[in-house]
Amino acid sequence: MTKSVDRHKRGVAVVIGSGSVKCAAALGLVNALNRAGIAIDMLVGCSAGCLYATMIAAGRTTAEAAEMTRVLWTSEIAAQHDRRAVFRAMFPKLLGFDARFGLRSDRLIMQRMRTAFGDMRIEDMKIPLHLTATDFATGNQAVFSSGRAIDAIRASIAVPFLFSPWPIDGRLYLDGYMSDPLPIGVAIKEGAGVIVAMGFESPFQETISTAGRFAFQVSAILSNNLLKSQYSFHALSHHAEVISIIPEFKQRIKLFATEKIPYIIEEGERAAEAQMPYLDRLLSAQSAA
Amino acid sequence: MEIETNTSGGITVVGIRGSVDGLTADELMRTFTERVTAGSVKLVADCSALDYTSSAGLRSLLGAVKLARQHGGDLRLAAIQTQVLRVLDLSGFTGILKHYPDVQSAVTSFAEPA
Repeated sequence: MTKSVDRHKRGVAVVIGSGSVKCAAALGLVNALNRAGIAIDMLVGCSAGCLYATMIAAGRTTAEAAEMTRVLWTSEIAAQHDRRAVFRAMFPKLLGFDARFGLRSDRLIMQRMRTAFGDMRIEDMKIPLHLTATDFATGNQAVFSSGRAIDAIRASIAVPFLFSPWPIDGRLYLDGYMSDPLPIGVAIKEGAGVIVAMGFESPFQETISTAGRFAFQVSAILSNNLLKSQYSFHALSHHAEVISIIPEFKQRIKLFATEKIPYIIEEGERAAEAQMPYLDRLLSAQSAA
Repeated sequence: MEIETNTSGGITVVGIRGSVDGLTADELMRTFTERVTAGSVKLVADCSALDYTSSAGLRSLLGAVKLARQHGGDLRLAAIQTQVLRVLDLSGFTGILKHYPDVQSAVTSFAEPA
C-alpha cells in the first residue's frame, strides 16, 4: 500500500536520478536538509539513485551510507564476464538466446546487496520509498512501492547489455533510466507538492576505443535527451514546485570512482545548500497558508 | 526577487535580481503581462543577477514568451549565469528561447531580420 504525503508537515519529496556513483551527492543533499530542519517525507530513486534512496529511507546516516557504497559499488561488480551469455549471443540458434541477456555476471553485486540490505522491504522503510525500473516488454516505467528492496534495486540497475534484465512477479525489468532518468513524475503522482530533484547527465566518452565505449556513448546520448524531455514536461505541466539540484563536478567521475565519494558528497551539499534559504521560505509560507 | 524595467527604442529590458521561484514567479509574470498589454512586446530579460529558477520560474518565463509572441513580439534572455543556464538547458528552454551573452546583443537582435 502506498503511504500518502502529509501536506501540513514541513517536508519535501526527494528524487534521486540515475548517475552511478555520482548519486552519492544525494547524501550531501540530506546533510543540507538536516541542517535546515527540513524533513524528507518521500524518496524516489532511479538506477544507482535507488541505492541511496533506499539507504536514506532505511534511516542510514550519511557516513554509514558512504561506507556502504565503498563496499558495494566497486569495479569488481562488473568485472566478471558471463561467458555463457557471450557464446549464446554468438551462436543463438545452437545455444539458445533469451531476454535475460547480460555480458557481466551479477553474482557479486547480488551477494553484496544481500549483505547490505538483506530482506528489507520497501513498504517497511522509515520514509515512504518508490523505486523505478523499466518494463522490458513494454518500455513503460515501473514503480515499486512494496516488495523486496534488493529486487527493485537490481531491476533498476540492469544496465542494458551489461547486466541482465531482472524478473519480478513474472515480468522482466531493465534499468530505470531507460524510461525516465529523473522520475519526478512519481513524486507528483504520489501527491508531493515540493520536490527536490537531484539529477545527473550521463558523461560522454572522451574516446571511442572499444565497442563498450561506443555503446555507452549511444546510451548517454539517449539518456541525456530523455532526461531533458521528461524534466521539461514535469517542470512545466504540473502545479508541483520542482527544485532542481544539479551538482557541478569539475573532476571527471568514473562509473565506480568510490574514492571520490567525499568530493561527490561535498559538491552535492554545496549545490543543495544554495537552495536551502528558498526552501525554508517556501515551506514557511505553505505552513502559514 | 527584484525587478527593474527600462524601455528604450521600443525594447523593454527587464532586469531580474535574485531567484524566480514559487514565491516570486507570479510577480514576474505580472510584470511581463503589464508590459505586453501596454504595447511593449519586444522584451529582453537581463539575467545577469538572476541566481536561480525553479519550475515555477520556468512556467512564468514560458508564459511570458508565449504572451509576447502572441502579440507579435518576443522575450529574449541575456547574460544567463551558469547555474540558471543549466536549468534552462535541462528543461529544453535553450531550444525554444533565444539567448545572448549580454543585454546589448539581445537588444540588437531585435533589429536583425527574423
